[in-house]
Amino acid sequence: MQKKGEQMRILKGNPVSPGLALAKIYIYKAFKADVHESYFPAGQEEEHFLKFKDALVVAEKELDEIVASMSVESPDKAKIFIAHTEILLDEEIEDGVREMIYENHAMPDYAVDEVFSEFAKLLEQAKDPLIAARAADLRDVRNRVLRILKGEKENNLANLRENCVVVAHDLLPSDTATMDRQRVMGIITEVGGATSHTAILARGYKIPALLGVSDATEILKNGDNVILDALKGTVLIEPDKNTIEVYRQKLVEYIKEERETSEYLDKIPLVASGERFSVGLNIGGTEPEEGFKYVDFVGLFRTEFLYMGSEYMPTEEEQFEAYKKVLANAMGNPVTLRTLDIGGDKTLRYMALPKEDNPFLGNRALRLCLQHLDMFKTQLRAALRASAFGNLQIMFPMVGTMDDIRAANKIVAEVKSELHAEGIAFDERIKIGIMIEIPSIAMIADQAVKEVDFGSVGTNDLTQYLHAVDRMNPAITNYYHSMSPAMFRVLGKVFKEFNKAGKEISVCGELAGDHLGALVMFGLGLRKFSMNSSNIARVKRTLSLFTLEETENIAKKVQELSTQAEVIEFVKGEVEKKN
Amino acid sequence: MYTKQTELKNVSGLHARPASEFVALAKTFESAVTVLRLDDPEAKPANAKSIIKILAQGIGVGTPIEISADGPDEETAVEKLIELVDSKFGED
Repeated sequence: MQKKGEQMRILKGNPVSPGLALAKIYIYKAFKADVHESYFPAGQEEEHFLKFKDALVVAEKELDEIVASMSVESPDKAKIFIAHTEILLDEEIEDGVREMIYENHAMPDYAVDEVFSEFAKLLEQAKDPLIAARAADLRDVRNRVLRILKGEKENNLANLRENCVVVAHDLLPSDTATMDRQRVMGIITEVGGATSHTAILARGYKIPALLGVSDATEILKNGDNVILDALKGTVLIEPDKNTIEVYRQKLVEYIKEERETSEYLDKIPLVASGERFSVGLNIGGTEPEEGFKYVDFVGLFRTEFLYMGSEYMPTEEEQFEAYKKVLANAMGNPVTLRTLDIGGDKTLRYMALPKEDNPFLGNRALRLCLQHLDMFKTQLRAALRASAFGNLQIMFPMVGTMDDIRAANKIVAEVKSELHAEGIAFDERIKIGIMIEIPSIAMIADQAVKEVDFGSVGTNDLTQYLHAVDRMNPAITNYYHSMSPAMFRVLGKVFKEFNKAGKEISVCGELAGDHLGALVMFGLGLRKFSMNSSNIARVKRTLSLFTLEETENIAKKVQELSTQAEVIEFVKGEVEKKN
Repeated sequence: MYTKQTELKNVSGLHARPASEFVALAKTFESAVTVLRLDDPEAKPANAKSIIKILAQGIGVGTPIEISADGPDEETAVEKLIELVDSKFGED
C-alpha cells in the first residue's frame, strides 16, 4: 500500500486462482441507500405517490428481465428474483407507503425506506432463522426501489463495456450468476479465502483472482490501470512502461506454459515409470461439462444444488431426473453421488435449522440426514432408481464413527427392500462408500474399510478438522495447512488400509487438484484423483515427470519434514528440477 | 364472514413456495382473507394476500390455523385455501 518508485503502488492478497491480467479496474459496488427523514408541502400527495408507483413499474420490469435472462441457463437462480417480485408487489407495502405519503406527507424515498425497514424487522423477529433471513430479500428490493427513485441505473456485472479487473468487497452468487465472463479478466475482493464461493468460481472459469485484499474498493479507482499478478499475489497500480513490458512478456510465457500443460488434458494419465493412475471430475450440477471427456470417473457429484437452488424440498422425481442426466453426461464412467451435505456454511431456505455456535462441528450432512429420514430416504430412492441407468455409487459425507456407517447402511437396506417390494429396478450391486474427512474415522480406516465398498477423502474438511481451523474464518487462513506433514501422515495411513483391503480409495478434495499435493499422494499410494476440470492437465503433466520410486521417496521425505512451508518448498523444488 | 380451521401438514410449512402459492391463490378472491395462528394466544389475523405478513407468521408444520374471509366470494375463498393447505402443497 506504500508508494514505491514514482507512482506505482502495490497491494497484496491471497492468490486463489492463478494467472495474470493487465486491464482497467472496474469497481463493483452494490447501491447504498442514503435516505433522510423528509417531507413535502401538503397538496403534492398524488404527485409523490405516482413517483412511487412509477418506481414500482420500473422495478418490476427490471426483475422480469433478470428472470427472463436467467430462466433458461439457471432457473434456480431465477427463483430468487421471482421471490423479489412477490415482495415488490405486496399490497401491504403499497398500503403502507400510500399512508405515509398521503397522511404524513413523507417523501417517497423516506416512505419506502420506513415501510420496508418496518417489514424487514417484522421478519427478523420470526423465530425461524430461514424467515428471518428473508429480511435480506426485503432490503434488496428496497434498495432497488430507492435506486430507481434516485434515477440511478442498475449496477451489475452482466453488461461490462470493456475488459476489466472487477474489484468488490465480496461477490455473491447472484453477482457471479449474471457476470459477463468474457470481459472479466481478473477478480479482486476484500474478503474470502481459497475455498470461498468466489475462489471456486474463479478457478472454474480460469479467471485470475486475488482475495482478501484489504480496502481494495477504497484504494483502487475506476479506470486505474493495474497488473493483477495472481501467481505471486500482488496488484500493481498504474505500472510504468517498463513494468508493463516485463508483464506482457510474462503473460506470453504464462500462456505458452498453460498451452503446453493443456496438451496433457487428453493424455492417458501415466507416471514416468509407466504406472497408470485415474483422474476424476468433481461436479455440482447437471450441465454437460467439457471435462467429462478427459476423465475416467466422477469422483464427487455434489447434490446440494438441487436443494439449495430450490424454494422447496426437491421431489424424488426431480432428483431422479437430475441423477439420470449426470449419468448420461458421464458416458458410462462411474459417478460417485454424495448425499446431501448441508449445515455448516450451507443452509436451505425451506428447512428451519437452528443457528449453531459451531456449525462445522454441528448438525450437518449425514448427521442431519439421519434425523430427517423422509428427506434422506427420498434422496436414496431417487439415487437407487437412477442407478439402473448408469454406473452410480453412493457416498455419505461427515462420517465420524462406525455407528454412522451402520446407521446409513441400514437406511440404504430399508430403501432397497422398499424398492424390491414395489418392483422398481436398481443396480443390485451398487457400491456404498464414505467420505473420509473426520480424523476419527481416518484413524480407524482399517475397521471402516471392512464395512464400506469404497472411501473418498475430502481434504478440505479433513484439514479443517485435523488442524482445528474454521475454513470460513479469514482471520486464520494462515492456519489452514492442507499440505502439512500431519495431513500426509493421516492420508498415508488411510491409503494403506484401503489398498491393503483391495478397496477403492480416492481423493476428491482440493488437494487432489493441486499438482504438488497429488504428486505426494501418488507416492503415498493413491491412484484415484478427482478434481475440477481446470486442474486436470497440470496434475497429469506433473505426475508424468516422475517415476513411482521418485514419488515414493518424495512422500517419505515429506512425512519427516516438520512444517507445511518446508513441505511446499521441498516439493516445489523437486518439480522445478524436472522442468 | 366465513371461517374454517385446519392444520399445516407439509414439512416446510407456510414458507417459501407453499407461502407463495397460498398468497397467489388468496389474491384471486375479491373477499378480504386472513390467517390466524391458533396456537399463539397473542397472534393477530394476518392479511392472506401479503406474502410478507404470511411469512412473518412463521407457520410451520403442525401449526393449527384459522382461515377467514369476508366478502362476496368468502365461502369459495376459504374452501379453496383450506383445500390447498390440506393437499400438502404437493410435497411428498
